[in-house]
Amino acid sequence: MNAKKLMFVALLLLLVAAPSMAQDSTTLTWLTLGWPAESIIEEFEAQNPGIEIEAEQIGFNDLFAQIQVRLGAGSAVPDIIAVDVPLVSGYALRNWLLPLDPVFTGDEVEDWLPAAVNAGSYEGALYAAPVSTSTQLLFYNKGCFDRAGLEPPGADDRLTWEEIAELAQAMTFDDDGDGTPDVWGFIWEQMVRIYQLQALPESLGGDPIGEDGLTVDGVINSPEWIEAFTYYYNMFNVWNAAPQGEEFWPPDIFETGNICMFVGGPWNIPRFAKNADLEIEWGVSRHPYFADGEPATPTGSWHIGVNANTENIDAATKFVHFISTGEGAELWWREGSGDFPAQQSVLALFATEAEFDELPMSYMRTAADEATVNPRPRAVTVGFLEYEQILQNIFQDIRNGADVEESLNLAVQRIESEMAKYR
Amino acid sequence: MRISRQLIPYLFLAPALLLLIVFNLVPTVATLVESTFILSLRSGERVFAGFANYNRIFNDPVFWKSLQVTILFSLLVNPIQIFLALCLSILINQKLPGIGIFRSIYLLPIAVSLNVTAIVWGLMLDQNSGMINGILTQWGIERQPFLHSVDQALWSIIVIASWIGVPLWSLFILAGLQNIPPPVLEAAKIDGANSWQSFTKITLPLLRRVLAFVLVADTVANFLMFAPILLLTNGGPQLSTNLIMYETYRRGFLYGDLGASSAMLSVMLVIVFIIIGVELYVLRGQD
Repeated sequence: MNAKKLMFVALLLLLVAAPSMAQDSTTLTWLTLGWPAESIIEEFEAQNPGIEIEAEQIGFNDLFAQIQVRLGAGSAVPDIIAVDVPLVSGYALRNWLLPLDPVFTGDEVEDWLPAAVNAGSYEGALYAAPVSTSTQLLFYNKGCFDRAGLEPPGADDRLTWEEIAELAQAMTFDDDGDGTPDVWGFIWEQMVRIYQLQALPESLGGDPIGEDGLTVDGVINSPEWIEAFTYYYNMFNVWNAAPQGEEFWPPDIFETGNICMFVGGPWNIPRFAKNADLEIEWGVSRHPYFADGEPATPTGSWHIGVNANTENIDAATKFVHFISTGEGAELWWREGSGDFPAQQSVLALFATEAEFDELPMSYMRTAADEATVNPRPRAVTVGFLEYEQILQNIFQDIRNGADVEESLNLAVQRIESEMAKYR
Repeated sequence: MRISRQLIPYLFLAPALLLLIVFNLVPTVATLVESTFILSLRSGERVFAGFANYNRIFNDPVFWKSLQVTILFSLLVNPIQIFLALCLSILINQKLPGIGIFRSIYLLPIAVSLNVTAIVWGLMLDQNSGMINGILTQWGIERQPFLHSVDQALWSIIVIASWIGVPLWSLFILAGLQNIPPPVLEAAKIDGANSWQSFTKITLPLLRRVLAFVLVADTVANFLMFAPILLLTNGGPQLSTNLIMYETYRRGFLYGDLGASSAMLSVMLVIVFIIIGVELYVLRGQD
């Protein structure tokens, strides 16, 4: 064997051996949304040498499809996933998530909001640790009210949807006269998602799903739903006070002054408060309701789970424990999610921290209180993914002009046919 | 040595055949097999179910609607693409100064991936801020919803698919046109045939083999149309663009119902075979 050949063999051996030489450090993949994740990862890596976290951050709509495809195929990666809470039962049923009960102490479990623990459990076992929870408020641009000669609501006022309709029409302006408004009156932050829109029929006494968690016929095409979504239809199609077309993220155009009001999450409070370039004056008020109905506020939580097929159970559960309890949870609340924490110890900081004494950050206290007023979680069903995605298509259709009753009946037909496999 | 000599062609074909088997034949058989099983969601067990999946999809209005949309789409998009491709290839077959530059320009869409094309078209067709609606309002025409309208969405998808399809297929037809020996056309001219007569009596018949290939390949490509639907419409509005490939993806991968998904694919496979059989029969040669 000559020198060249020897070199070649040595190189080959090195290539084969290199991965196993690097194995004393573990890299975890965390499939999650675009939350600012640097500080929590840095802190965790500093406390746990040898474990590296790689955040795979993707868009809202892609997250669910990716989890479905990757975990459905039995892949060991991602090790950790962000779990939207209504999907817990569906994931647990398919054995995609690792049961997490041994990871947490009794005190840690007790610190979480009981509703969140419940929502993260399936058949008595915890599958996804609660991280944050949410509520909804009305955000408005004071400049629009001035321009229309109207008085904006106070932070503790609760407008009716009927009032919102009138305000929205009065505050839709077509400045260049091309027939398309340049400033729109109103929109829902998540304009085609059940999370936010469920509050409409619920305010009228409607339900999101039948008692068996599978039936939707007679539920989502009930008179309450038809009335609620006729309102929704009118906002886009009759009153022309909200923009149609592609889905977009309203806070972006609220900041530029092109939307006067939107119903959205409290995560917008720090966003607007910390935006030094923001030129608009803004305020919040309580989540609207129908005059004939009762207040109903959307709520839902984000959880974190471990892939049942992961090859790094110890490291992955360590990270899940870190972000959902104690100092890690507090750090995630401060620098990451911008959402409500699901830990009562962290939630208590709203009342004591000086940061929340003054406007506009004090709106967080308004939100914290709103979260206690008739919060309505999403439907509990093993088929939530199908339910949510089909309704998303249907709401998008109604928003763009499809007949309300026909669309809801089509939703019934499609959801019922998907639910058949769970019966 | 005779036998080994007979084997030689097969040896040359072997690599291609192997790839065909691995990437086409095996998945096809696997799909047919999978369509007779139901995956128990709870235990992950596969249970033989015979024709239960087929029974399920045949009773499912969404499947029928999807099939109907797919067939409508094929009936529209294939003739449109092939007619335009034929016109385009005749145009670029002219020997004019600067035709080389024109050929390069019209081929550009092929060089852009379908996904990028779909997203750019999606931006251009946007109702509020899209370029096309901007131009329409300049002309005093009302803004159009395009991808968000039951009546316009499928046509918008046809336009997007044809943006790539027309230049691509015209390339094949152009090759066919250039294969026609010029003396044949000259002879016809001398015999007094006008250009329409020589087109219908000489050019088209001589293009038959190329057109048969293009028709079959185009039919298959359009039956498998998926990316623009995933990226732009998700099958909507009101299932008006819910092509069968997207429906099978949604069932199989998103909703985890591999049995129904495979059954739909198998049904589609049979339909595609029948359509291609008819196409090949109609365009069969005497040679």
